[in-house]
Amino acid sequence: MKKGYLLEILAIAAIIGFCAIFLYSSSLAGEAEFAGSDTVGSERVSELSGIPLEEFHPIIPQWEPPSGEVESGLFALQAAVGGIIVGWVFGYWKGQAKVKNHEG
Amino acid sequence: MHIMEGFLPLPWAAFWWAVALPCLGFGIYQLKRILSADREALPLLGVTGGFIFILSSLKLPSVTGSCSHPTGTGLSAICFGPFITSVICAIVLLFQSLFLAHGGLSTLGANIISMGVAGPVAGWVVYRILRDTRVHVYLTVFCVCAIADLVTYVVTSFELALAYPAAVGGVASSFVSFLGIFAITQVPLAIVEGIVLALVFKYIVTLKPEILIRLRVFPEEKIRAAAGDAP
Repeated sequence: MKKGYLLEILAIAAIIGFCAIFLYSSSLAGEAEFAGSDTVGSERVSELSGIPLEEFHPIIPQWEPPSGEVESGLFALQAAVGGIIVGWVFGYWKGQAKVKNHEG
Repeated sequence: MHIMEGFLPLPWAAFWWAVALPCLGFGIYQLKRILSADREALPLLGVTGGFIFILSSLKLPSVTGSCSHPTGTGLSAICFGPFITSVICAIVLLFQSLFLAHGGLSTLGANIISMGVAGPVAGWVVYRILRDTRVHVYLTVFCVCAIADLVTYVVTSFELALAYPAAVGGVASSFVSFLGIFAITQVPLAIVEGIVLALVFKYIVTLKPEILIRLRVFPEEKIRAAAGDAP
């Protein structure tokens, strides 16, 4: 039955490998601030167009989370909504399979 | 992959909206048709959509000193096709632009195209090519998800390059420049995402192979083989 968990092992290895590479590269590049690639992309836009970053104004006014904490909270909320749906469905299917096994 | 609010000039923002709206309309039409034909498709839609919610909320640090989101769109593109995936992405991106200042309402069209249309379409093409070959289902899922994720970022770079061609070298040179930020950060994330979603697909195959067979996601023999002796 060991063969049955190949994919699980691969997934864990990939995640650990990813973390290892990340830790190693972050220890090399001491000053890297791990800004979002969106932010880095915006900076490149301002470089290429020669317009300073402050000159970009939203075309449609936008609410911004007042702090990083609020933002991460809302991101967690989004993940939680997804997690609840996924967990609910897997439970539902598991239940269905159990009922079917009992009948059949 | 979000293009921030105000970072696309108005004509480009309007153009991408005009491309995105028909895709969304078609997706909503397909969604209604599938759900009225088969209510049991709804839980599967919940799982694939749920993973888009989860994965796109994670901002993962990558090797190049910046952070980026996985997209999670491949699974839904396999099960329901690219345009239903666009609808789910539109919901996620709307939430992020309204409450998180990630992307904006004017750039939402461009963001829907990159994450919700281009990525899933590319993934779906890979899926159609591999579906009836001897390639194992999990390997197919891995390829589709990794490609869908990568193409999303390639297209974001392209959208920005079109709007901001470099003074020297034009669109091509600024495309390469944006690609350097987005796509390279994304390669390790795409690989991890592919493996994780292949694992999720394994659980769907184990728990509910009937729905995958009924929606003809993969040929029946391949699903049975995967469910019987999962590697």
